[in-house]
Amino acid sequence: FPTLSLSLQRDPGWKLFGKVPPREGPIKDPKKVQKEYETKSGRGGPGNPTSPRQSVRKNLDFEPLSTTALILEDRPANLPAKPVEEAQKHRQQYEEMVAQAKKRELKEAQKRKKQLEDRCKLEESIGTAAQTWNQEILPNWSAMCTSRRVRDLWWQGIPPSVRGKVWSLAVGNELNITHELYHICLSRAKVKWKTTPASSAETETEDAGCSDRESSLELIKLDISRTFPQLCIFQQGGPYHDVLHSILGAYTCYRPDVGYVQGMSFIAAVLILNLDTADAFIAFANLLNKPCQMAFFRVDHSLMLTYFAAFEVFFEENLPKLFAHFKKNNLTPDIYLIDWIFTLYSKSLPLDLACRVWDVFCRDGEEFLFRTALGLLRLYQDVLTCMDFIHMAQFLTRLPDLIPAEQLFQHIATIHMTSRNRKWAQVLQALQKDHERGSPVLKH
Amino acid sequence: MQTNHHKERLYKILVIGDLGVGKTSIIKRYVHHNFSPNYRATIGVDFALKVLNWDQETVRLQLWDIAGQERFGNMTRVYYREAMGAFIVFDVTRPASFEAVTKWKEDLDSKLTLTNGKHVATVLLANKCDQGRDVLTNNGIKMEQFCQENGFVGWYETSAKENINIDEAANCLVKHIIASEKDMLQSEVSDTITPQLEKDKGGTCSSCFRSQ
Repeated sequence: FPTLSLSLQRDPGWKLFGKVPPREGPIKDPKKVQKEYETKSGRGGPGNPTSPRQSVRKNLDFEPLSTTALILEDRPANLPAKPVEEAQKHRQQYEEMVAQAKKRELKEAQKRKKQLEDRCKLEESIGTAAQTWNQEILPNWSAMCTSRRVRDLWWQGIPPSVRGKVWSLAVGNELNITHELYHICLSRAKVKWKTTPASSAETETEDAGCSDRESSLELIKLDISRTFPQLCIFQQGGPYHDVLHSILGAYTCYRPDVGYVQGMSFIAAVLILNLDTADAFIAFANLLNKPCQMAFFRVDHSLMLTYFAAFEVFFEENLPKLFAHFKKNNLTPDIYLIDWIFTLYSKSLPLDLACRVWDVFCRDGEEFLFRTALGLLRLYQDVLTCMDFIHMAQFLTRLPDLIPAEQLFQHIATIHMTSRNRKWAQVLQALQKDHERGSPVLKH
Repeated sequence: MQTNHHKERLYKILVIGDLGVGKTSIIKRYVHHNFSPNYRATIGVDFALKVLNWDQETVRLQLWDIAGQERFGNMTRVYYREAMGAFIVFDVTRPASFEAVTKWKEDLDSKLTLTNGKHVATVLLANKCDQGRDVLTNNGIKMEQFCQENGFVGWYETSAKENINIDEAANCLVKHIIASEKDMLQSEVSDTITPQLEKDKGGTCSSCFRSQ
């Protein structure tokens, strides 16, 4: 209230009681204050679940709180009284201010109500969607999963309650991993952890296999605490700490040639949030087995460059101006795509939005990861065009906290994944062949 | 270079070292003046920009925070291009991360050489010094010898958490970068660069350590 505080300085006749509820009167019984303090700070003992202050607050919810705290007073008795005109003017000003503040508060209350309504609507639509998925789609999966209607529903986001199930079905289990195999891998990992001393520092230099060193317990341990730290569930002592540890450890025994690679902890974590442990492991291993993920997690550099080159083909096709701007500033796709692809956007997008990207990624495959990247670039095209290299790099490696989901998906939808009549897979294949023939285009 | 009188310098600086030694934390402390125990693992590369006033000039530092996993070596080497300086970070509580320092330095030197044939100025950071001192960093003489032998222009015990020595280390690096830039300009002017002659001297810098 800038206007209020200003007039406060000019006219000594105004008084503000920021926190005193008006009906309680200006002077409080000190005992009552003490009691209030105790209940508020949780020292009041049991049997007093709600503090009186809280209940007062509730009652005031639809009454303008701030304006009722503004009290018009006359000058103190020891000073000459205000002239009638001035007093009237002040009264009028006071009433105007109160009226304005009331209007503002009313507007905010309406806005809050609207937000609440929207949320209820959203929850309701999620509820009906969950019902559709559970009762109609999932029981008839193979027959329905490619239908137009299911595809549309899919694009709008899978309800969280069926998300894990749909992901599992869409990713499949090409590797035929059983729950039993998961438990075998896990027990092997546990044996390995026991035999390697906790402080592996001294033994490490003598370790023969480099990949063995890399898949070490210590590496996984270091990264687990840095996986979605803000959620506080994967850290030491958190409810999912051991689960994440188990899945990553079991994977290093399942694929010792791949081992643990940074980024995996984020993927496993997202799966854990949506699936039971063994199913999460199965989805994890199958996801990582997809060609694009294998290329990245095995750090097959030349194949990664082929992916980047394919991405650039579609980048230029869809966003020629921005593409030229990136080229001019030497901003290569490896700078921002590595993070996005390695973590499947789970680190760079808000988690609920990342899950929506996963929804379609599980359905459409690797192509959708690159399409999402182009959707993001298209969404932020105007801001990016005004930036230099370092600001673009900073922006893309740390995207805004609030990304409008619907808008992003609209932008993704407008990205065409065809270039001169060739689809993603064809472009990629052609580039791969070029590369095998030793074309200089891809050399860095 | 906005005006004639006001010169601007832009330097690209790499921050490298093993996984989880605190590279991101150091940068956050240096640029944003804060610390959180909850940073996420860096995948690929992250960026920060620090603007300094240096002898009435504006110095812009482009900090490249590079993911620490050994496996990414091939992938991240392209990020080294055109860097003018580097921090190599290790964690004093994890001796293995110190063992890796020479590997990081060799990797850097093999992929990056200045136009005058010298290596880029590199400062060694012994991070997390608030969590107890390592036997090695306790021995200053030994550490200085290590720096000389491996071509570091200096070393600092740092703590991103407690804000110890981070500005000092950065100032040291900037000082050496400016010195090496002058050196490069001079050798360009005299047009008699013979990098081969410098080869055995490694990357040592005249203002801190002299070879032999």
